Amino acid sequence: MSVNKITAGLILVAGMVSAQWVNYPSAGIPRTKDGKPNLSGPAPRTKDGKPDLTGIWDVLHNRPCPPGGCDDMFIPQEFLNIGWSLKGGLPYQPWAAAIVKQRMSENRVTDPNAHCLPTGIVRMYTTPLYRKIVQTPGLVVILYEREAMYRQIFTDGRPLPEDPQPSWVGYSTGKWEGDTLVIQSSGFRDGIWLDSNGSPLTESGKITERIRRVNFGTLEIELTVNDPKAYTSPWTVKLTQLLKADTDLLDYYCVENEKDGPHLVAK
Amino acid sequence: MFARIIFVSALFAASSSAQWFDIKVAGTPRLPDGRPNLSAPVPRDSKGKPILDGVWQMNGKYLQNLAADMKPEDVPYQPWAKQLFDARQNGALGKTDPAARCIPGMPKLDALPYPFKIIQSPGMTMMLFEGFTTFRQIFTDGRELPKDPNPTWFGYSVGKWEGDDWVVNTIGIKESTWMDNAGRPHSDALHLIERFQRHDFGHMDILLTIDDPKAYTKPWTVKEDLRLIPDTELLEYVCVENEKDYGHLVGK
Repeated sequence: MSVNKITAGLILVAGMVSAQWVNYPSAGIPRTKDGKPNLSGPAPRTKDGKPDLTGIWDVLHNRPCPPGGCDDMFIPQEFLNIGWSLKGGLPYQPWAAAIVKQRMSENRVTDPNAHCLPTGIVRMYTTPLYRKIVQTPGLVVILYEREAMYRQIFTDGRPLPEDPQPSWVGYSTGKWEGDTLVIQSSGFRDGIWLDSNGSPLTESGKITERIRRVNFGTLEIELTVNDPKAYTSPWTVKLTQLLKADTDLLDYYCVENEKDGPHLVAK
Repeated sequence: MFARIIFVSALFAASSSAQWFDIKVAGTPRLPDGRPNLSAPVPRDSKGKPILDGVWQMNGKYLQNLAADMKPEDVPYQPWAKQLFDARQNGALGKTDPAARCIPGMPKLDALPYPFKIIQSPGMTMMLFEGFTTFRQIFTDGRELPKDPNPTWFGYSVGKWEGDDWVVNTIGIKESTWMDNAGRPHSDALHLIERFQRHDFGHMDILLTIDDPKAYTKPWTVKEDLRLIPDTELLEYVCVENEKDYGHLVGK
């Protein structure tokens, strides 16, 4: 299975990623004597003493390059299989296991990602395009390079709505437990894929993210998916994100000059 | 003809009238009966500058016609720009508007009939848009505009205060975008100057200057009026979702 085929839309702009804006120095980054960002220092904090998650974040490059060399963009293991690190894999319900098998056998032609649709909040962490977290009082915003989309996480103490309008990004509230931002999300629409294998998320799915900035340059995200319709038990994976200093987001529109859709074929 | 150009938007018209639900947005001044007091004074930060945060909606007429408040002869077109604008008048070129393919641009993005949210944070102000579920970043950390930015759909923006006006300068906007649904063109030299003027809690104007000497003989300015939408939140609007119109658009 060619990853290139899976990421048809992404590959079109592969060149852009290596030419991020200008080298504009990010404010507030500790630097070594030679001016390079010192990413092993302590996490910054906001005025209220909480860790500040603000920054531009990249995926962990945890996948060996295939024979023939790496793609222009580093595709992490989780992009292909969100449960790759779990012994025995994801605990699919029988229908979910069957649909994953079918989606893979069809070359993933129904992947929303391949049709320029939003990818949902889990794949937003695993897509090899940058994301920017902006932490403000009462609200954390994540800005995505992909589709120039965004997500809001309300930290003003409001509860999750009882019956939110289903959407690709769902509805998210967050609160601090010590130095960990705990985000609860629900209100997802049916049809979201959690990875390129097609692991499903149903509209009854709930997602918990526990985010810690372990040092200046590293985020650790413990992601728990609780979706009894699709999985026999809740499961948790750890995603690591690395700070990208001295750059900014570009705009990336999947639909721009998109010509692949009609040519996608199943095996 | 305009209906055809904004066909995609029209599909989602219903969602605008069904915004989330009643959220009591903190910091909203209220009347004795609990309703938001939209004529209360402009909120200000510790430095005395107006706070622009909130969910805003622009008067819809500027999406259709950016020069709605001008006499047609007062728009100072260069000859080629007038020719192209006229050619777009019969709707035949609507297919070439990137917005018809779910790609918005500036200054049209601000003028969409869906709400947007302004969030000021240190060094950068965000505008989150319900329309197209997209965003603008406006850098307020004192940086200069880049000399030759990579052209993008929304351009590169920096903002600064001039008295009570928040002034945003934007360059580097891709040439192919239409500035309004009427089809007003621009060139790669487009420089937008937006002057945000909040008048009271519920009302704001954007004085928008189009400075594009390749397409217009002199800068021209329009005043766009916005109202605050209290106690609500943005919904998600994905233009590409179930989009079936583009294949049926006719014309050149």
